[in-house]
Amino acid sequence: MGDTARRAPAGTAGHLVLDGLAKTYPGKDGAAVRGIDLAVERGSMLAVLGPSGCGKSTTLRMIAGLVPPTAGTVRVDGRDITDSPVHRRDMGVVFQSYALFPHLDVARNIAFGLEMRKVPKTELKRRVDDALSLVRLGHLAGRRIAQLSGGQQQRVALARALVVEPAVLLLDEPLSNLDARLRSAMRDEICRIQRETGVTTVFVTHDQQEALSMADRVAVMNHGRIEQVGTPEDIYERPARPFVAEFVGRANLLDGTAGDPDGERTSVELPGLGTVSAAGARVARGRTAVVMLRPHRIALTAAAPGTGGARGTVLSAGYAGETVAYRVRVGDTGPVLDVERPTGAQRSFGPGAEVELSWDPEAPRLVAAVEDSEPAEAAEPVRESLS
Amino acid sequence: MTADPADGPARAPEDTRAARPATAPPAVKAPPRGRGPGRLALALLAPGLLALLLTYALPLVWVVRMSLNESEEGGAIRQTLSAATFGHVLGSGHYWNVIGQTVELGVLVTFFTLLVSYPVALFLARTTSRWRSLLIALAVTPLLISSVARTFGWMAILGTQGVINKTLTGAGLIDSPLHLANNFTGVVIASTEIYMPFAILAMISGFGRLDPALEHAAASLGAPRRTVFRRIVLPLTLPGVLTAALLVFVLSLSGYVTPRLIGGGRVFVLATEIYDEAITALDWPVAAVLSMLLLAVFGVVITLYLRAQRALEARFTGPREAGS
Repeated sequence: MGDTARRAPAGTAGHLVLDGLAKTYPGKDGAAVRGIDLAVERGSMLAVLGPSGCGKSTTLRMIAGLVPPTAGTVRVDGRDITDSPVHRRDMGVVFQSYALFPHLDVARNIAFGLEMRKVPKTELKRRVDDALSLVRLGHLAGRRIAQLSGGQQQRVALARALVVEPAVLLLDEPLSNLDARLRSAMRDEICRIQRETGVTTVFVTHDQQEALSMADRVAVMNHGRIEQVGTPEDIYERPARPFVAEFVGRANLLDGTAGDPDGERTSVELPGLGTVSAAGARVARGRTAVVMLRPHRIALTAAAPGTGGARGTVLSAGYAGETVAYRVRVGDTGPVLDVERPTGAQRSFGPGAEVELSWDPEAPRLVAAVEDSEPAEAAEPVRESLS
Repeated sequence: MTADPADGPARAPEDTRAARPATAPPAVKAPPRGRGPGRLALALLAPGLLALLLTYALPLVWVVRMSLNESEEGGAIRQTLSAATFGHVLGSGHYWNVIGQTVELGVLVTFFTLLVSYPVALFLARTTSRWRSLLIALAVTPLLISSVARTFGWMAILGTQGVINKTLTGAGLIDSPLHLANNFTGVVIASTEIYMPFAILAMISGFGRLDPALEHAAASLGAPRRTVFRRIVLPLTLPGVLTAALLVFVLSLSGYVTPRLIGGGRVFVLATEIYDEAITALDWPVAAVLSMLLLAVFGVVITLYLRAQRALEARFTGPREAGS
């Protein structure tokens, strides 16, 4: 089983491939998932990132076989498993609530999948021991689930899913039930385990930090669709859509009018800020364009007479330890920008201070024309977690 | 109280003090008394305790006392302290039959009630339908009808001229009517239905550990549906089943109406026998002894229940905590 799960890549199409995967719940307006195309490379870790109710959990459940899709296919190693029942899919699933069996001890929880596969006793024992040491819980084999802490339960759930050497590991909001300190430790732990086992992994999260720091690739979902798939850097530095720019990290999104293209860049006339030149999406001359400016890439200096830069007034300054978060109104009637400056060497400004705003030429990013972006839709009902 | 000093330390301070010989070591320090919260708790408990004393403890003492009396020829009760009535009852094959039939009825009724109630309770506990509350209420509505009325209903269904027999003979499936009422079979059938709402409620409230995510997890690990039921659902619902079993068994042991009405005078269980001895034969000492025997059966059942429950709980909390 382990050998088949780890054999050499069969082509370049991806290990787990979703094709037009969609789900419509009867009696609900609109689809929960509206056609997902996604390929996950063997041995890589993909994060599905999106707000509550965006359809990410439903997508994971469809991959696991817990929810039958309305349309589309799920393929693993080129084999169509769309209609396979859950218990024949060979997927390791870690549930948000961990879903550990309360009537079995830690070792028997982990052994469950092996027992289902009729693994002989001695091999079963060895593999359970290996799984326990993988998650560093060897000393707790005989404990009941009720005697474990949240972090330990998370590890048992991981061990139980991985011990059967599944084709794909699915994690539903794996860190959401842990406190902040444990969360960062488990984040590293999950990455280590994923690297050591080399299992193709998909995890669902609403936390952009988690997605950016853990995943090889991130798929950002909204309203049942994938907005963008890319490396964490792609997603953060080169968002394809306004939603991605705002959901991943903080962003100032400024509407302007597109001017002439200049190679890779386009000049955009921003009211109050003048003309900026930004790379990114292509927008036809004269159309409305959205320019993204990350708050930490805007510099503030005290306004001095005679310089030609954009000027503004500090509306508020929020001290947050490592940084100060400013809100700055551009000009007298211009847009209000979020600006984030590191504390320490920087000079700080109080409310009412006149400042000059500047940024390096690479900072503005043309995200998309407004016409291209998703029409505003009513928020969908929250559909959280696998259970 | 003649406490032996050897087993003194385990006893309450009052006991040791009363019986302590002069040479014994000083008693363990008595716990502090008259603390505020303790007194308040006692005050709050007093009404309930008083009610229990008047309606439960005193009558029970009276029954115990009565069981030690004897009946004379002609029906007079002789006040005495003897085990003669116990001897009379326990030496009679008739009463042993009654006890045997009572327990047999309890076991059968419990078995069939659990068998038919379990799927209903499992469905009600797991359904996510918006009608769930209504369905649970519906499952319990039979309780709104007196068990006397429901028993009569069963007589109309099970009797020689009842719905079942008329249908079957009408369809030509049987020549002579089945004996479904006025016997033990009828009592089992009617009691099963009558105790179903209790069993369903007890099970639903005992199914708290059931979680659809656990079933999903088991399935994702390769368990087909039947295995998920056997390895996950059944073990997690056993505590609820056990509670329902105790409830139905105890209700059935003390059940009077159904055995009396559907039994047609041919089914003798402890409850009907006690009634007959006390009201018809006016042999109160025998009725009291039978009551004591019924209590003894309850005691055995509850002891078994507690053992089974402890064994079940140990599976969830682990052997270490189970002992303490």
